Amino acid sequence: MTTTNISSSYTVIFVFILVAGLSGLTWVFAPKQNQTVWRSSVILGLAMCYLMWAITYLAQLHPLEAPRRSDLRPEA
Amino acid sequence: MPEKEEAVFRSAEMSLVQLYAPTEVSRDIIYRIGQLNLIQFRDLNSKVNEFQRSFVKELRRLDNVERQFRFLKHELDQREIPVKTFPYELNPVVPESEIDEHVENAQLLEDRVGQLIDSTESLYNKQKELKELKFTIQAVDNFFATNTGPSGDLDDETALLSQLESQTVSESHSANFISGVINREKVGTLQQILWRVLRGNLYYHSEELPEEIYDPKSKTHVRKNSFIIFSHGTIIYERIKKICESLDADLYNVNSTASYRSDQLAETNLKLRDLSTVLDESENALTSELVAISRDLLKWWEVVAREKAVYQTMNLCDYDDSRKSLIAEGWIPTDEISTLTTTIKESDNSQSIPTIVNVLATTRTPPTFHRTNKFTEAFQSICDAYGVATYREVNPGLPTIITFPFMFAIMFGDLGHGFLLTLVALYLVLNEKKIGGMKIDEISEMAFSGRYILLLMGVFSMYTGLLYNDLFSKSMTLFSSGWAWPTDFKPSETVIASKVGTYVFGLDSAWHGAENALLFTNSYKMKLSILMGYSHMSYSFIFSLVNYVHFKSLVDIIGNFIPGLLFMQGIFGYLSLCIVYKWSVDWFAIGKQPPGLLNMLISMFLAPGTVAEELYSGQATVQVTLLLLALLCVPWLLLFKPLYLKRQLDREAQEHHYQQLSNEDDLTSDDADEQDTAHDDDEEHESHDFGDIMIHQVIHTIEFCLNCVSHTASYLRLWALSLAHAQLSSVLWTMTLGGSFSFTGPLGVFMIVVLFAMWLSMTVCILVVMEGTSAMLHSLRLHWVESMSKFFEGEGTLYAPFGFKGLLSDVA
Repeated sequence: MTTTNISSSYTVIFVFILVAGLSGLTWVFAPKQNQTVWRSSVILGLAMCYLMWAITYLAQLHPLEAPRRSDLRPEA
Repeated sequence: MPEKEEAVFRSAEMSLVQLYAPTEVSRDIIYRIGQLNLIQFRDLNSKVNEFQRSFVKELRRLDNVERQFRFLKHELDQREIPVKTFPYELNPVVPESEIDEHVENAQLLEDRVGQLIDSTESLYNKQKELKELKFTIQAVDNFFATNTGPSGDLDDETALLSQLESQTVSESHSANFISGVINREKVGTLQQILWRVLRGNLYYHSEELPEEIYDPKSKTHVRKNSFIIFSHGTIIYERIKKICESLDADLYNVNSTASYRSDQLAETNLKLRDLSTVLDESENALTSELVAISRDLLKWWEVVAREKAVYQTMNLCDYDDSRKSLIAEGWIPTDEISTLTTTIKESDNSQSIPTIVNVLATTRTPPTFHRTNKFTEAFQSICDAYGVATYREVNPGLPTIITFPFMFAIMFGDLGHGFLLTLVALYLVLNEKKIGGMKIDEISEMAFSGRYILLLMGVFSMYTGLLYNDLFSKSMTLFSSGWAWPTDFKPSETVIASKVGTYVFGLDSAWHGAENALLFTNSYKMKLSILMGYSHMSYSFIFSLVNYVHFKSLVDIIGNFIPGLLFMQGIFGYLSLCIVYKWSVDWFAIGKQPPGLLNMLISMFLAPGTVAEELYSGQATVQVTLLLLALLCVPWLLLFKPLYLKRQLDREAQEHHYQQLSNEDDLTSDDADEQDTAHDDDEEHESHDFGDIMIHQVIHTIEFCLNCVSHTASYLRLWALSLAHAQLSSVLWTMTLGGSFSFTGPLGVFMIVVLFAMWLSMTVCILVVMEGTSAMLHSLRLHWVESMSKFFEGEGTLYAPFGFKGLLSDVA
């Protein structure tokens, strides 16, 4: 169980590298026209999407609370 | 031609150019420059009164033409004749002779249309009079007919009347009674006044006119009454006439004899018939004249408006002493100077004296010019609405393109609502050519101009909706859940899921419908908003470093940026780090009590050195160090810059002192120069007073430290609004569509149809439009206040080049 946790913890870093790579590619291959707007917008958009995902992912990595409900019916 | 600067991260580099144009061609040159839409002219005659400038006469003439055009437009509007809008291609430079033609033409048209209007108006007046006369005669006829009818039942009154009617012509008939027409509203007043004045000594009869009478003065149809008044005595009749006239009644002489009356009526009818043919003809003439005008009016107007703009610009220019050449100064983007020079060269190839373009060296601050396109335009205008960036400082409009819609999406996150928003935005974007040419009302216009903002807001809302796992408040199970429910339990027993993994993308679907779902999403969204806020503020703060480096202001880097960064990161960076660290630790595995981060932060300030529940080892030392660092930053921020500037000031003052002693003669002329420039419109004067600098820095320090706290707290609105949005949409679901599934049979079908309509319309109106607007305003505030205060000076003036665009925007 601990091994899976450690590996999932690295997912965040792995995706970060992926996003950083994508950002690098965007920087290099941004269209010549309106280059600054392309670079800034795509990279910033990627970064914010990554941050949002990473925060959501991390918040559920080791939750202190487990879902609880009393309206479930046991399966037959 | 050199490649143009993109000018969106910083405003474009501007140059001050000076233009010497021979007087004969100066108008043409300015005209061509207007077509380029490149130069913002400086007013070189700011001390000269508007009425004493060089081209007042020309401008007055053109003003008169514009007035005439407005008159024509007014007449067209009144007759609801549409003005033709051209996709007009005008000559590159309209020759002056053509302007003269336009002036003459306008005068001619005004005269002709004015005459036609006058004559139709007088015809209408005549028609009104005749109609009223006709109705008065009819009313008198009616009156006599009913009151002297053949019923044989003659009382005193009717006997008198018949006597009156059969009177011989020899007697003056006009004095027997007064008849006329009056506004229906004034009938009562007339009757009352007459009653009081004549003490009841009269006979009064009034009758409603069968049709409304057109009043050419007010151009409306008015309901009127005819009246007949009998009394006796010439003086009294005079008095009655005066009263009637004071109430705007029109009096008509009607013969008391029946046969004369019928003659009069026949004659009036004949006149009326003739008149209406004449009236029709003159109306037709007027309309065809106006229709002919409507075809070309806007084209003429455009020509005249351009001419006027050219002269207004030439009024800003100066002349050399011999008045042989015009001198103009203006700001132009540096990379456009070559365009300017080639255009000018093309235009004056035949001239013996060439037009000269000089680039001036200046200390004046140029205007701010960000090059925008249809995509960036709306984002730029969001920032410009708050303040125009100082020349060459980082343009907040660039990061706003992403951060504004994203901050919105954090509050608005729902896949379904985002999808609706995207659809609307896509419609606007894909049909932008068609919609752009249409005339639409103000609110649609706003939505249209912000269509790319809406599109990004919609797309990001779909993304955050996926992360929140909300689709119209319902959840999706896209990936395998990280929670497993126990299989062996009794019905209605409370069960707790056990963790088997982590949901890969977004919020685990197992939380949806769980009793404690709010407990989790509450904590998750609060931390999310703090982390996103912290990132947004840090990102914005880095721009201040970029600015300081660009303006080579080392004192600001050392005195403002570094202490500010340490203060902010030491407290809120540390808090953010702790949040992430706490998430990454498996507290159940190591068997420790997870610490409350809020209490940790509070005790870090109130009881430094004590840690109630440890997050990591050595925490107390780290926290005390950070606290001391933050405390150290305050005096650093407060004192470094003012003291440094004071030293510099002292040194300058000393040097100045030496200079003053060495060349006292030069000083007087220097002073005169300074006096001269002091009056100039955009010369900047910074105060070099230590007191001012100190006060400024004290305010900055207090503001910065307090803002670090309050702005972080302010980002909690992301938490509140996203929770509220999710709750509202789930409540809407259960109150409407969710409830319809419990019905069965035909009633169930009916309920589903009705409740679906209700759910959809409320989703669009309340959740998408209203909630969307509120989230947008909150996002706007986060940008204007929380983000832009970290780096934005906003002391620039907007670049407004002289051009011919939108001269007629308020006309057509």
